Amino acid sequence: MTKKHLIAILLGTVGFLLPLVLPLETLSLAGKINLGIFLMAAIFWILEPIPIYATSVLVMLMQIFLLSAESPIAGALGDFQAPAYTLYLNTLANSIIILFLGGFVLAAGAVKYQLDRNLSRIILKPFGTKPGSILMGLMLVTALLSGFMSNTATTAMMMAVILPIAAAAPEGDRFRIALALSIPFAANIGGILTPIGTPPNAIAINALVSRGIDMPFSSWMGYTAPLVISGLAALWFILIRMYPSSQARLPLQLEGKFQTSPKAIALYVIFALTVLLWVTEKLHEIPSGLVAFIPVALFPVFGIIERKEIRSLPWEVLWLMAGGMALGVAMNQTGLAVWLVELVPWAAMSPMMILAAFGVVAILLATFIANTVAATLLIPIMMTLVGSGIGDGFAIQTAALMVAVGASLGMSLPISTPPNAIAISTGLLNSSHMLRVGVVIGLVGYVLLLASAFLIWNLIF
Amino acid sequence: MNDPKLYILCVEDEMDVLDAILRDLSPFESTFQLEGFSSAQEAGAWIDGLDPDADRIALIYCDHVMPGQRGVDFMSELQRRESVVLKGTCKVLFTGQAGHQETITAINEAGICHYQAKPWEPDELVELTRKLLTDFVIAEAIPPLPYMSQLDQKRIAEHLHENNPFQDA
Repeated sequence: MTKKHLIAILLGTVGFLLPLVLPLETLSLAGKINLGIFLMAAIFWILEPIPIYATSVLVMLMQIFLLSAESPIAGALGDFQAPAYTLYLNTLANSIIILFLGGFVLAAGAVKYQLDRNLSRIILKPFGTKPGSILMGLMLVTALLSGFMSNTATTAMMMAVILPIAAAAPEGDRFRIALALSIPFAANIGGILTPIGTPPNAIAINALVSRGIDMPFSSWMGYTAPLVISGLAALWFILIRMYPSSQARLPLQLEGKFQTSPKAIALYVIFALTVLLWVTEKLHEIPSGLVAFIPVALFPVFGIIERKEIRSLPWEVLWLMAGGMALGVAMNQTGLAVWLVELVPWAAMSPMMILAAFGVVAILLATFIANTVAATLLIPIMMTLVGSGIGDGFAIQTAALMVAVGASLGMSLPISTPPNAIAISTGLLNSSHMLRVGVVIGLVGYVLLLASAFLIWNLIF
Repeated sequence: MNDPKLYILCVEDEMDVLDAILRDLSPFESTFQLEGFSSAQEAGAWIDGLDPDADRIALIYCDHVMPGQRGVDFMSELQRRESVVLKGTCKVLFTGQAGHQETITAINEAGICHYQAKPWEPDELVELTRKLLTDFVIAEAIPPLPYMSQLDQKRIAEHLHENNPFQDA
């Protein structure tokens, strides 16, 4: 353990204890404990003395032991109607987590039978060999796949596609930078497209669902598609202008064949069925979390994925999300969210300004810390703000979308997202390239976010 | 969890040959620690001083015919050591002249992963090194990003894709 980690742990501990010793008269004891957990979690999530998913489960543990009806100190919490500890634990298997589990299982099957690679090959083919159109094809494939698979796994796969092109480019060809930036940025943007595209979406949808507001899979896609498409178009335009190719044609090697074993066929069928049911949710009204259980159950039944693949699913991401959701649950139960909201004189600002400000904060925060954490810290406050009547003038769905989408738009640093980290590690570009394009995309994204909020979302909800 | 320091060791008694190896491998110096030794004894003692919590030897290039301990015997001795520092280390024997018995020892007891004939082409050595380092990082499940710029990037990207060592967060 380094000194930096020790200091972070010390700071987190101080953060936990501080509300208990400060004279916060308007906050109940349960609220103070909750505020302590919130501060500690925020410090740990930002400084990362322990992995972010570990902080998430620590949050759950502390809430179970300090803020539940079964807690040893439950009697000392006064008026606080402590909920059963299972309320916190249930986030580990709520419908959004199952939705993600379904996405993970689909992705694991797709990787195992190379469905994702073969799909990318098919989609890329019509884009030919001209640099501009190849770049467009690469970005479209990346965005589309990252809407259904993890942004990181998609980036890794697509980097393997562009590396040979970059290696074949003549020395000093700036188009290499365009290639190396297009993949992670398209993946970051593509993650916005569906509820399972990236974890911040789950935090937002869960916050809505827990308030009894439905967010069908296809509706989310409809709300975010205009922003995703125009964001990609802007990115493409910026990249070909800033880093044009010196060549007229590029060698794009796309070999491979769809596997035709019975298991592979079963995978294709179940994969297609699941995605089809997701995107048509509005027509049949079978909830997406329920549909997600189809691959979770049928893949092992047909032996499409086995013990090895099940064990290597990214379970820690589910822990990360569940812990964040549990924190949101507690903040509502203890009244901490309301108390935090009341700290700020919101009345001095117009609702539109508040909404716009949360978008900025989400993008900035997500640039420096994990996107899921940014969403986790902001969404409970944002939701409470809307619920308290201060946010009259914009819908709660608009608020949730604003923060979740904003959390995917912070991408100007290598540490901003795992896809960025992969791209920078190739050495094809340096962080100043990433910063330059990332800031522009952040600004363009923000404008698109405001446009979506005021011109689309606010009119629908 | 800091990233381990990955070492490339070169053991060669002839100074001009050692210099040539170190020069040919210098492109890796930005990412890996490159160390040269003129005898097996010197290298063996130096390895003892490494920090098991922070250091890993990814690759050893060792000459076979040396005064004192010969390459195969030194590699066999390292193979028997149970140090974390040497876990999964890829051992390459430089030789123009290893006999039948020595080849058997090299495979059965010394865990040699590659024979490299002398003399070598510099490009060939760089490519071999890149391949072996990539093998090491993948086989030992070392987080590859800090080293990726000097590895076989396509293989690392495919490895990341298939094994999901890290994820959206």
